Amino acid sequence: MEFNSNKKKNFIKALPFILPFMIVYLVFLVFPIIRGFWMSLHRWTIVRKMHFVGFSNYIEMFQDSSFWSSFGNTMIFVLVSTPTIVLAGLVLALICNQKIRGKLFLKISFFLPYVLSVAVISSIMVYLFQTNNGFINMFLEDIGVISNGIQWLSRDLLAWFVVVFATLWWTVGFNMILYLAALQDIPESYYEAASVDGATPLEQFLYITLPQLKPITWVIVLLQIIFSYKVFAQIWLITGGGPGTATRPIIQYIYETSFRQNSLGYGATMSFTIFVILIIISVAQIVIRRKRSDVQ
Amino acid sequence: MKKEISPTKKALKYMVSYGIAVCFLLPIIWMLFVSLKSEGFRVSRIIDWFTPPYSLANYFSVIQRAPIFRWMLNSFIVASSATLLVIFLSSLAAFAFSVIDFKFKNVLFVFAMAGLMVPTEANVVALFDIVGNLGLINTYPALVLPRVAIPLGVIILKEFFDAVPRDLIDSARIDGCGLFRIYWNIFMPLSKAAIAAIAIFTFIQTWNEFLWPFIAVMEQSMFTLPLGVPTFTDAYTPDYTIPMTVNMLASLPAIVIFLFFQKQIIKGIKFTGIKG
Repeated sequence: MEFNSNKKKNFIKALPFILPFMIVYLVFLVFPIIRGFWMSLHRWTIVRKMHFVGFSNYIEMFQDSSFWSSFGNTMIFVLVSTPTIVLAGLVLALICNQKIRGKLFLKISFFLPYVLSVAVISSIMVYLFQTNNGFINMFLEDIGVISNGIQWLSRDLLAWFVVVFATLWWTVGFNMILYLAALQDIPESYYEAASVDGATPLEQFLYITLPQLKPITWVIVLLQIIFSYKVFAQIWLITGGGPGTATRPIIQYIYETSFRQNSLGYGATMSFTIFVILIIISVAQIVIRRKRSDVQ
Repeated sequence: MKKEISPTKKALKYMVSYGIAVCFLLPIIWMLFVSLKSEGFRVSRIIDWFTPPYSLANYFSVIQRAPIFRWMLNSFIVASSATLLVIFLSSLAAFAFSVIDFKFKNVLFVFAMAGLMVPTEANVVALFDIVGNLGLINTYPALVLPRVAIPLGVIILKEFFDAVPRDLIDSARIDGCGLFRIYWNIFMPLSKAAIAAIAIFTFIQTWNEFLWPFIAVMEQSMFTLPLGVPTFTDAYTPDYTIPMTVNMLASLPAIVIFLFFQKQIIKGIKFTGIKG
């Protein structure tokens, strides 16, 4: 290439190209990490009276039962939603990959909720599951299953169900698209060879489709875990974290501590902890992706 | 390759597939029909929602009652400036990383790539402090810039730029083109598909973002749609025709954009592979 004559001189030439992005990147993405860690070592309020407290925020965190219970809620959400939404994505992708008319209609139907705002899907869910006048209860009454409206949002388990159901409906289309792309990448000849050998459709699914989907499944599972770890908006808007604090996720607790109880230092401590956990998951994802591309 | 399947099996396949699809669409269709019912409409059975009379009265009433167009305008300003900035800043940086052989290039590229792993949700407390210090709370830049800082666009565009044939650069140099002209006249037009995918993706993501605007904006006049919409949602009102109208108004642009660009959006997900 022509430009490799003088690397130092080229650095000057490259500056106007990389500097605009790098400035925004440093100020709004890199610096907040450092600043967050710094804040976590202080008592810090919104009016910025602060003093250095070392790691005592971290010690407080380990002793804070609310931290553990909301962290536990996030964990429950991750553990329940990940297998459910990944599996549902696979099922929907298989539906779209059949020999069937109107594939585009199916694909669009499954994906459409994903483009709606979390505010909108939450609002729809609130009314769908409303006790007295909601769609679901009214439907169940119409077909005679129940006579009194179910109080979906005031029982722990039911509230969890609504939250996971809402998230599934809203985001499963994303997983479906990734699975569909992987399904379409499986060479047709594999199936032809298998059916010549007399393999049943079920056998073909078990011995060809599933193994071929293994790599993409890893990617989808890890993306889903990261996404689920960050859960906040739909819970906040549907249950408010309730009943009580039964569905309150860690991000909501961080929000409440920082901005309602005016304790930014402690909020930053929990944020930094979550940040470290998410980074570990991300690195795992990259390692797995790399391994996968090495195999191919 | 496959044997003919029996008509019952085929009917079952269609019923299950389309049944599920209808279940996915039903809440959206229901939202539409509720918004078409006049305020105070009494419903005793499900079917009442879907049968006439319909009216557009709610839409007029919402438009008069709430600054919904202001919120829409805010969302639009934020989403489109974020999109434009992401496209320009990322493509400029990607061009340098792909074409110019400069000092610290590899270090800087790895440094930028590492940012992909950083979850903005876990950063909002410190981000609030920084944005506050810059005096940007309740402003558009507060909502736009953190989105522009995400390096995904740089990484995707570098991949695309790497595939541009290098003799194009050489002949452009011979014709006396500077670096910027090469970037603008050769690389950008050749990467339209990738740029479109990133643009649509950024737009939808920013349009729908909740947590950060929720923290960074307090004045109602600066609300984006996702902040304004929930001010109408009340779990205890039996009459939710008005909130559903708000939902419809808030969703229409996203639905229309999606139906227009569904091919690019779906392709975009395949090669970005990122979520929320």
